Amino acid sequence: MTKLISSPGPSRFDDPEALSRLKKRHAAERRFRLYGQLAISFAILFLGLLIVSIGSQAVSAFSHHQVTFHLPLNEETVAPNGPGDPEAVEENISGFYQLVREDLARTFPEAGETPARTREVNALVTRLAVIPMARETSEHLDWLGETRRYRTALSDDLDLYLKGAVADEIEISLAEILRAEQIRAEDSDAPPRIRLTSADEFASLRDALARASALTADRGEAGGFSVLVQNGANLVRLLPPYDSQPLLFEPMTGTPANLAGGKPEARIILLPESARNVTDRQIAWTLALQEQGRIRSSLNWALLTNSDSTYPEIAGVLAAIVGSLFTMFVTAAIAIPIGICAALYLEEYAPKNRVTDLIEVNINNLAAVPSIVFGLLGAAVFLNFLALPRSAPLVGGLVLGLLTLPTVIIAARAALRTVPPSIRAAALGLGASKTQTVFHHVLPLAAPGILTGAIIGMARALGETAPLLLIGMVAFVAEVPGGPTDEATALPVLIYKWSTGAERAWEPNTAAAILVLLTFMVVMNAVAVFLRRRFERRW
Amino acid sequence: MPDTSSHSATTASIATATKVDCRNINVFYGDKQAIFDISMAIPGRSVTSFIGPSGCGKSTFLRCINRMNDTIENARVEGQVIIEGENVNTDAVDPVLLRSRVGMVFQKPNPFPKSIYDNVAYGPRIHGLARTREDMDAVVQNSLTRAGLWEEVKDRLGEPGTGLSGGQQQRLCIARAIAVSPEIILMDEPCSALDPIATAKIEELIDELRERFCIVIVTHSMQQAARVSQRTAFFHLGKLVEFGDTEQVFTNPTDDRTQDYITGRFG
Ligand SMILES: Nc1ncnc2c1ncn2[C@@H]1O[C@H](COP(=O)(O)OP(=O)(O)OP(=O)(O)O)[C@@H](O)[C@H]1O
Ligand SMILES: [Mg+2]
Repeated sequence: MTKLISSPGPSRFDDPEALSRLKKRHAAERRFRLYGQLAISFAILFLGLLIVSIGSQAVSAFSHHQVTFHLPLNEETVAPNGPGDPEAVEENISGFYQLVREDLARTFPEAGETPARTREVNALVTRLAVIPMARETSEHLDWLGETRRYRTALSDDLDLYLKGAVADEIEISLAEILRAEQIRAEDSDAPPRIRLTSADEFASLRDALARASALTADRGEAGGFSVLVQNGANLVRLLPPYDSQPLLFEPMTGTPANLAGGKPEARIILLPESARNVTDRQIAWTLALQEQGRIRSSLNWALLTNSDSTYPEIAGVLAAIVGSLFTMFVTAAIAIPIGICAALYLEEYAPKNRVTDLIEVNINNLAAVPSIVFGLLGAAVFLNFLALPRSAPLVGGLVLGLLTLPTVIIAARAALRTVPPSIRAAALGLGASKTQTVFHHVLPLAAPGILTGAIIGMARALGETAPLLLIGMVAFVAEVPGGPTDEATALPVLIYKWSTGAERAWEPNTAAAILVLLTFMVVMNAVAVFLRRRFERRW
Repeated sequence: MPDTSSHSATTASIATATKVDCRNINVFYGDKQAIFDISMAIPGRSVTSFIGPSGCGKSTFLRCINRMNDTIENARVEGQVIIEGENVNTDAVDPVLLRSRVGMVFQKPNPFPKSIYDNVAYGPRIHGLARTREDMDAVVQNSLTRAGLWEEVKDRLGEPGTGLSGGQQQRLCIARAIAVSPEIILMDEPCSALDPIATAKIEELIDELRERFCIVIVTHSMQQAARVSQRTAFFHLGKLVEFGDTEQVFTNPTDDRTQDYITGRFG
């Protein structure tokens, strides 16, 4: 203070003390900007990571492999009640699955050798995957008696294999195979063996085998990989030991003699058969089908148009989307009107006293209550006391409505507070009543803000899982719910359920469902931003 | 009950009859008293100005006349406000109806964020003053014309009122106030947010409106009070110090505080 008084006047531009102070101030500003930029970069980085990791996982779920079948629709198998009963056809899953199995048996006669092998080949297609084919046929009963072409999903594990998600592989093309001869063992029960004569004595294959051993060496087991040699739709598997002289093979599918000539290929699957869900033989059959042009990759619309299933290849999110929509509908019907009324009353009518202060504090507290507590409340009040239906969007919507209510009230009050008092004074001064003032002027001006808050609250409710688990919306629901009182599940709950699925194929499905949920949220938030931009007012 | 004619020695010099007769007004904000026992007879068809230092209670007293103090949470008004023989400061009188007779213009122009037309039409609409669309058009045109704004906005009645200049907005607010045909118009520092040219227009307008309305205006500008008003009231610390003909108050004040204020010694 004394310095200030005794100083001769304002600091001059060349005063060293002032210059150093100025330098410090600029440095502080630069530092602060840097912190800000760092913070934003971190946020963007994590967001990017999230989207990339989910997106890359989900990509494989958005396409899937389908097998083509030509099925003779004989009436006994397909329409046990005759052509007059389409419903029986639609529900005749075992009939259609039998046709599929017969087709597979025709294609791969070697699979009939043992019952175990028959089960192995049948696992190429899941039983429930024939549902769409049954449904389609039930709408075209005139097809009975014809042979029709169908496409149906390949089993999830083989689908993953074709997408390269099961194991690393080494693929090499081989020199021409000159001869393929069968060696009968002395003991005739033993499986047949094949000796192949290669133009280059399998030099390239032996190279690749050495590489594969090196790659799998750290796993300890000898022969921790399988080797398939393919020429067209004919496949054989290399028999251990892989360094024997000559190399011996066992037939997988097709005719071993046909391996000769053409362009043979070998693939080394760098994971032992025991460590994966698909056998070498199933891989061989799948590759043979692919060779015959009977497998193709297509967009997996089923993911959006099917409902939940125990089989990942035919599971979809439709029922969960509809369930979520019903839930959100109930939530909006509860939270928005009640929230707006409460906010209007508190902001415009209520006297400012202890009681309203208490209410205000409690609304803020309520907004911070963990969602699972609302779930417990919902289970106790709506299910046990009011005996509303379990697992229904009605109850889910009520619970989420209560959860969203404080958010809506707080957002609406904030929006109402931004309406300048001069507008209220203008209306009141003209002789408008309190209610006219509120409904003609204040509410319309606050509406965009209120809606923005409400939509953001709803978006949060859309992603809530815990309260829905507690009121039983986690039940397995394979049917699209027809109304808010039907059993249903919701998207986040489905994601939670899928993420706990044991099979590998649930992983991309989960990621895809997350993408669907995120899409909904992004759309809702975009609407909120749009409303804010469109109706924003400056005073 | 005090005799109305005894408030000021110079009341007789104005020929117009009393329009608003305020008697023994006390206003409290919570426990704090803002107006101390003020009585004042405001004449009709003339302009009365309130002057005084900031915080002396001019706005508070003005708001007693249309009971806008009712909208302030902790405000309490005691005393009688008699308009044309009827005490309006009682629960029996609906403030909503009162405010259609007593219009108000605020310090900051506050048009509704609606079209110019709707701004003016809002009052007549809620009071049911125009039956048909043509009636309403006539009311709007009439009000805008009297507010001296018609020529400037007649081609853009559909545009938002908030898009006008500050002076135009204030004239729009005046048009909005006169559209409900009030008897009294209260103006609380209507020019304090405007430039001199816009101020001059409003002052001109006030002078014209005096023909039909009883106008009460709060102002911080001594010149403005001298220019537009016939009667001037000087407030100090919640009390009415002096009330009389404008000319007399400015040239020959009876109270030293008035003298000090108008000569700029405090305030
Ligand atoms: N809403 C309110 N609550 C509490 N006290 C208030 C309120 N409004 C005004 N007051 C007080 O009442 C007194 C008179 O205020 P008022 O606004 O009437 O003064 P004013 O003469 O209009 O001042 P200005 O010239 O600055 O507009 C002041 O002391 C003020 O603090
Ligand atoms: Mg004031």
